[in-house]
Amino acid sequence: MFLLYEYDIFWAFLIISSFIPILAFLISGILAPINKGPEKLSSYESGIEPIGDAWLQFRIRYYIFALIFVVFDVETVFLYPWAMSFDVLGVSVFIEAFIFVLILIVGSVYAWRKGALEWS
Amino acid sequence: MKFRFILSLIFHIMDLPEPLHDFLLVFLGSGLILGSLGVVLFTNPIFSAFSLGFVLVCISLFYILSNSHFVAASQLLIYVGAINVLIIFAVMFMNGSEYYQDFRPWTIGDGITLLVCTSIFVSLITTILDTSWHGIIWTTRPNQIIEQDLISTSQQIGIHLSTDFFLPFELISLILLVALIGAIVVARQ
Repeated sequence: MFLLYEYDIFWAFLIISSFIPILAFLISGILAPINKGPEKLSSYESGIEPIGDAWLQFRIRYYIFALIFVVFDVETVFLYPWAMSFDVLGVSVFIEAFIFVLILIVGSVYAWRKGALEWS
Repeated sequence: MKFRFILSLIFHIMDLPEPLHDFLLVFLGSGLILGSLGVVLFTNPIFSAFSLGFVLVCISLFYILSNSHFVAASQLLIYVGAINVLIIFAVMFMNGSEYYQDFRPWTIGDGITLLVCTSIFVSLITTILDTSWHGIIWTTRPNQIIEQDLISTSQQIGIHLSTDFFLPFELISLILLVALIGAIVVARQ
């Protein structure tokens, strides 16, 4: 719009995507009926009766998952500028990036075999 | 002021009009200071971790003001998206009873830390005000004027990374591999 002209589409997307949830909440707040019975106020558990406590112990698997994600996120950030300049560079750069990804695939296979990617 | 304006036009430092740039600078700076005060002073560690996320978002917006959009996006992706999430997960392991409860009096260690941090702050401020930034900018970027308008910044980064800095690029993958294996070995114990 006025600032940073090349990001016109980005600003439009940002404004529309902030507007739609607000609109959704407003419409459902106006149109939905309000009846508070005892069943309505209990927690939702896919239609069945709630089993057990709502607060669970935080497990270490979640932390290991986030840790692996950090390493692969840094790898992805290094792949972005290579992808941007891919068409002006030759085949040798393709081989270099292939070696980069290959070394990290070795790490991914190690994480897989050690059971670090198990969710349950 | 006029010299800085011409300099910014040649080197694309600021694309925004001057008062707007200064206003955004002050706004983000105050947000940064408030966020970092929040990190230190909140008693609930989850509030503290979310304030850290706010500080990292402010730093990313600073990079947008300096016209380095790739660094800003990678800052958002890595720092806010991965490292801040990791810190929040680490905070979740604490029980409610471990929160900061009693007010501890001032110790000697606090006094030494205050002295060291104040001296670092004062030395940083004097160093920043004493260096001549215009001289550094003029001497390091005279030969990049021609190619800077035709290729975008991320493409430049990609080209330099794969031709001039090819060996560090491969060594980075080795460092990431070592970090991954080390993290898994340590976390499994």
